[in-house]
Amino acid sequence: MPVDTSLETAPSPPSQLRSSHPTDVVLWLLRRRRRFRIVGESMQPLLVPGTEVLIDPFAYRHSRPSPGELVVAYHPHQPGLRLIKWVVYVEAQGCFLKGLNAAASTDSREFGLVPWERVVGQVVCRFP
Amino acid sequence: MLNHAITKLQAWFPAAEVYAHCDGPCGVYDPSSARIAAEAVVSMTKKLVDLEMPAAGDKAAAVAYHNTFARYTAIKEEQAQIAKDELLVLWTDYFKPVHLEQFPDLHDTFWKAAKLCSATKVEVSVQHANELMEAVQKIHNMFWATKNRDVSWYTAS
Repeated sequence: MPVDTSLETAPSPPSQLRSSHPTDVVLWLLRRRRRFRIVGESMQPLLVPGTEVLIDPFAYRHSRPSPGELVVAYHPHQPGLRLIKWVVYVEAQGCFLKGLNAAASTDSREFGLVPWERVVGQVVCRFP
Repeated sequence: MLNHAITKLQAWFPAAEVYAHCDGPCGVYDPSSARIAAEAVVSMTKKLVDLEMPAAGDKAAAVAYHNTFARYTAIKEEQAQIAKDELLVLWTDYFKPVHLEQFPDLHDTFWKAAKLCSATKVEVSVQHANELMEAVQKIHNMFWATKNRDVSWYTAS
């Protein structure tokens, strides 16, 4: 009998994020990417405050986020507050998000799963 | 060259912000901040009820009365909002689904406590102010029970 080990494998947090390529800049100019600037410490050491990233707002139109991906999502309880976190696991109702700097992060450990409709997009690269 | 242009552009057109969010100080929650605000609400409510009317025709006393009344009311309003904000942070940020299993009336307790914060703003009710304190005490007991710590309830006044 096949055993699904996906739940037993702890996902690794993302350890790197590439710089943008000219293609990313073109996609941004074509409004296929959105630019954001990081505020706060919870994604250290990968993303220091002031770093800019590009996200793909269309990444999850037809698929769900995968564990290990970086995403931008709205806080489930604070309207308008956009967060950047990494996906630890996904469930039917939403995804469990966590900061890379777990000691200085408010995330799904406190506010629970983030519903799908509150996920804004996938972080694809730094900018530039 | 491209990166140089991007850097210029970033300086001219700031990007929207995204928060690597942390409710600082992270993970540090304590219902005592709600308790202090609720105590202030009780105190201001009692002072408003006890405030003596000025003698008719005494303008200076009337001015002093209205000034004091306005100050007590403003502080009551402000502290009730602080109590509400502090309770909502505990409710939405600290308490987790596992705590709901431990305290099935958790949502009802917070909802009623938040309602009492509103009631104490709208009214000058010693009864509702005292009920708010009781609700905060109940939340204090729940909060410390989730941490398996025996922290006794006390008040500053």
